[in-house]
Amino acid sequence: MVRLLELAGRPFLIAVEESGRIILLLISTITWMLRPPFRFRLIFKQMEFVGVNSIFVVLITGTFTGMVFALQSYYGFKMFGGESLVGATVALGVTRELGPVFTALMVTGRVGSAMTAELGTMKVTEQIDALHSMSVNPIHYLVMPRIVAAILMLPVLTIVSDFVGILGGYFVGVELMKINSGIFMAKIVEFVDLEDIFNGLIKAACFGLILSLIGCYKGLRTTGGAEGVGKATTQSVVLSSVTIFISDYFLTSFMF
Amino acid sequence: MSNLTVEAKVGIFVVIGILILTYMSMRVGGLSFKRAKGYDLNVYFDSATGLAEDVQVEIAGVEVGRVRRISLENGKALVVLRINSNVKLTKDAKAVIRTKGILGDKYIELVQGSPSAPPLKDGDRIVKTVPTTDMDTLMITLDEVAKNINRLTDSLANVIGGEKGEASLSSIVDNIKEMVETLNRTVQENNDDVTNIIANLSEFSETLNKIGDTNREDIRGIISNVRKASEKMEVLIAGINDITSKINQGKGSIGKLVNEEETVDNLNKALASLKTITDKINRGEGSIGKLINEDETVENINTSLVSINDYLQKQDDYKTYVDYRGEYLFDSDELKSYLSLRIQPKEDKYYLLQIVDDPSGKEEVKDTKNADGTTTRTVETDKDALKFSAQIAKRYYDIGLRGGLFESTGGVGLDYYLFSDRLTFSLEAFDFDPDRNAHLKFKADYRPFKHIYITSGFDDFISDEGKESFFIGAGISFADEDIKSLLSDIPIPK
Repeated sequence: MVRLLELAGRPFLIAVEESGRIILLLISTITWMLRPPFRFRLIFKQMEFVGVNSIFVVLITGTFTGMVFALQSYYGFKMFGGESLVGATVALGVTRELGPVFTALMVTGRVGSAMTAELGTMKVTEQIDALHSMSVNPIHYLVMPRIVAAILMLPVLTIVSDFVGILGGYFVGVELMKINSGIFMAKIVEFVDLEDIFNGLIKAACFGLILSLIGCYKGLRTTGGAEGVGKATTQSVVLSSVTIFISDYFLTSFMF
Repeated sequence: MSNLTVEAKVGIFVVIGILILTYMSMRVGGLSFKRAKGYDLNVYFDSATGLAEDVQVEIAGVEVGRVRRISLENGKALVVLRINSNVKLTKDAKAVIRTKGILGDKYIELVQGSPSAPPLKDGDRIVKTVPTTDMDTLMITLDEVAKNINRLTDSLANVIGGEKGEASLSSIVDNIKEMVETLNRTVQENNDDVTNIIANLSEFSETLNKIGDTNREDIRGIISNVRKASEKMEVLIAGINDITSKINQGKGSIGKLVNEEETVDNLNKALASLKTITDKINRGEGSIGKLINEDETVENINTSLVSINDYLQKQDDYKTYVDYRGEYLFDSDELKSYLSLRIQPKEDKYYLLQIVDDPSGKEEVKDTKNADGTTTRTVETDKDALKFSAQIAKRYYDIGLRGGLFESTGGVGLDYYLFSDRLTFSLEAFDFDPDRNAHLKFKADYRPFKHIYITSGFDDFISDEGKESFFIGAGISFADEDIKSLLSDIPIPK
């Protein structure tokens, strides 16, 4: 009986323990963020990795998200003759929800996993202990640049994704479905507010924090050789994606 | 691109992001830097239901300002409007709260007053307002109407319904029945009188007959008068007879005209020659005949009219553009300039002539055969040489295809036009050489103003000689009427 209860209690305890550790890592990252040296080169290097190198993935997912969204909403709106609202629907959906979330998911897959694998390999090959012995704090040297870069780059990627998403929607709506281009743009301007765009970007920055924090945490906690690295990477991607979706709901309910 | 520093790459990326964000914000938020300018006007409404801050203020459907603040003052809604400073209003202007769309969004419509009234200044009050006709008041009115109808039907029900109503209805029916019976009885009782009336009528017609008999004399007189009139008519007809006989004898000018043989002959001849002419025309002889009879002539005239029309049309469609663009190449830190002339005979096609000043110069490859059978290749670069482009372009909807000479080498290009041609994406491929990768260039032109555009892209991005470079630049272009008139004097074949 007691064992049964233990079986139920253990995962919960582990979950609480993990979230506590993640928050501790966040706090120490913030304190390290404020201490010199600031290592701008490392931050820029990570920004290139997170931002510049992800641009093609984001362009493609962004464009096609906008296109398919336009197509689906066109079929829906056509039923009651509201085709003119397709543009506004696409623009609102993309700027508020699809742009930030899809960008974050793509970056999780591309960058979050890489962070875990990189740090995990360093951990199991004891390179992180070596850093310690050289009195270089691994959080300051490894974690802080990654998190800063992800927080800064995700909004930029998102705004690009928003733009090409609306462009894709424009292409499908105006070029393929022959909605009047003036109406299409006018409705976007009428319904989309600055707030929608900026809240989307704030969300994106939060997602950047989540995916890089979890990526680094899982990397630093890796044990058990090459197999452990693989396991940690998988866990990192799954946990990041789930956390992004959950936090998306709460962020949205707070902001809009 | 490869020799860009990490910082520069991140920098470009961030700048692009910020540019897109700025563009979208300007479009969506209607942000403009003129916003602070303008003046405030106060309006008191009995009710400001559904009105919100930052809602638009319109005159004749054109936005002229926004609602700045809504507050309660002395039981009325005080609405402060911020009006653009270029809009002048006078003291007798009117403010109306109106509804837009089926969702019922509220906005304020201003109605201009008479221009002679004193103008409104900052902080003034618009006195005239029209009460809102929103759904609530409409409902209240409808409610009253329904109540009135109700009252009417109620009183009707009172009259007809109930025992009292039933009694009065049945008494009405009884009365009608009685009346009919009385009528019937009256007719039966007066049967004799009716017979009398008919006898009287026949008597009356007999009397009329007698009146005819007694007035016989008068009637006779009337007839004799008519006879006299007809005798006078006879004399008149004799006179007419006389005139016609004179004409017959050839007396007087009419008589001559009608009687003399010569005149008739002349007339005959004239008619005959007229006939030969029309015959000839009919047979298609002579130029008029040909003109009228031959279908070819008519067709010729038609086609020449059509071609004149065409020509005039072409003159109108014909456009020439002069264009200068400069591209700053990041990698070599140099400026590449293009001067081009675009001749556009139709909307969907144009010819492009271009002079290019390429800082990397023009390369000339020479292969010389050596005595031992090997070849040496020398590449000479002429830094000052200009390159030339000559292209033909055809457009299908939003896709443009180009072909011809690109910077003095053969190539093709593809354009995609967006937002009514304000944004253009182009991909060009040229300088095909088996020994190295072709020159590919991708660029995006954005035209915020009619004559000025900005451009950005990658030049030679699959180069295997390290020539790939990111570039940004700008250009001006305008339609040149002088060159157009020069060119359109040259006849255009059909």
